[in-house]
Amino acid sequence: MNVDLLIIALLAGVANWAFRFLPTRFDLSAGGPDSRLSRVLAATGPAAICTLFVASVLPAVLHLPKDAGALGAGLIGVCVVFAISRSVAGATFAGAIACGGAFWALS
Amino acid sequence: MTLENGATFRDGLVAAVPVVLGYLPIAFSFGVVATQAGLTAVEATALSLIIYAGASQFVAVALVTSGAPILVTAFTLIAMNVRHVLYGPAILKRAGDRATTQHAWAWAWGLTDEVFGQALGSLSRGAGFSERFMFGLGLPAYAAWVGATALGAAFGGGALAGYPAVQAGLAFMLPALFLALLLSILSRRQVPVVVVAAAATVIGTLALSPTVGILAGMFCGVATGILRRST
Repeated sequence: MNVDLLIIALLAGVANWAFRFLPTRFDLSAGGPDSRLSRVLAATGPAAICTLFVASVLPAVLHLPKDAGALGAGLIGVCVVFAISRSVAGATFAGAIACGGAFWALS
Repeated sequence: MTLENGATFRDGLVAAVPVVLGYLPIAFSFGVVATQAGLTAVEATALSLIIYAGASQFVAVALVTSGAPILVTAFTLIAMNVRHVLYGPAILKRAGDRATTQHAWAWAWGLTDEVFGQALGSLSRGAGFSERFMFGLGLPAYAAWVGATALGAAFGGGALAGYPAVQAGLAFMLPALFLALLLSILSRRQVPVVVVAAAATVIGTLALSPTVGILAGMFCGVATGILRRST
């Protein structure tokens, strides 16, 4: 195996582990439910997931109109099935099936 | 029993299913891209095994094969994943009194974006936190990521070439998962956070790069959460 590649992987891997593990050692008991720390942590989930959702669909949006129909069908499929079932897994599968089906129908 | 003792390992396995299905095509693609760029199958698989962070692995291949210096490449990859520092505390804060970290040195390794989102979504829907649940959620996702990378590196990209609709559906798995997770945890109070995060992601991506867009989205979203007072 290429030694340079191994060094890069180890540096990045150790940093990833540190980023993911070391913050779990923080004392989270300080402050009330509306403290600055609580607000940071409460906002982290919605901010991160929204950011990743936008980042994941943005390339397809920028390639409009080629994938617009399939993307739109997928997004609608997720929203409709989640509204009905409140199931994350079900909505995810429905969205993927709707996207693939629309791609097939439109191509 | 779940409410009293926290979610089980099996609950974690069930929660991992959409994450695993989302990882398979992406990790497979990474294996294909890495070997096509000149890495061996062992090197491609090792990157998934050691780094375990999708976007930065693709960047690693691009930088390494372009001849970028080792330290520049390593620090670029590290900078891309700084956002992960808030994931563990956010989950533990949501877990409340049930939060335990005895084995966090092991399960925290699996706190990727998708695993974090699924864990937070499960907690928001009433699952009680347990380290068993975190292992059940994280292990299949990690195995799927590494295994699919190895398959992609070994067999190349021809397997699904004849089925573009299937490729399109699989490629939409992760966006679909993120949207479903967002819907599951969204509250009226967090709407400004989501709106600002989305706008910052678009602006950062279009103005500079996807990595900057992700960091800008998370930073601005969290900053909005800090500034927003309770009503």
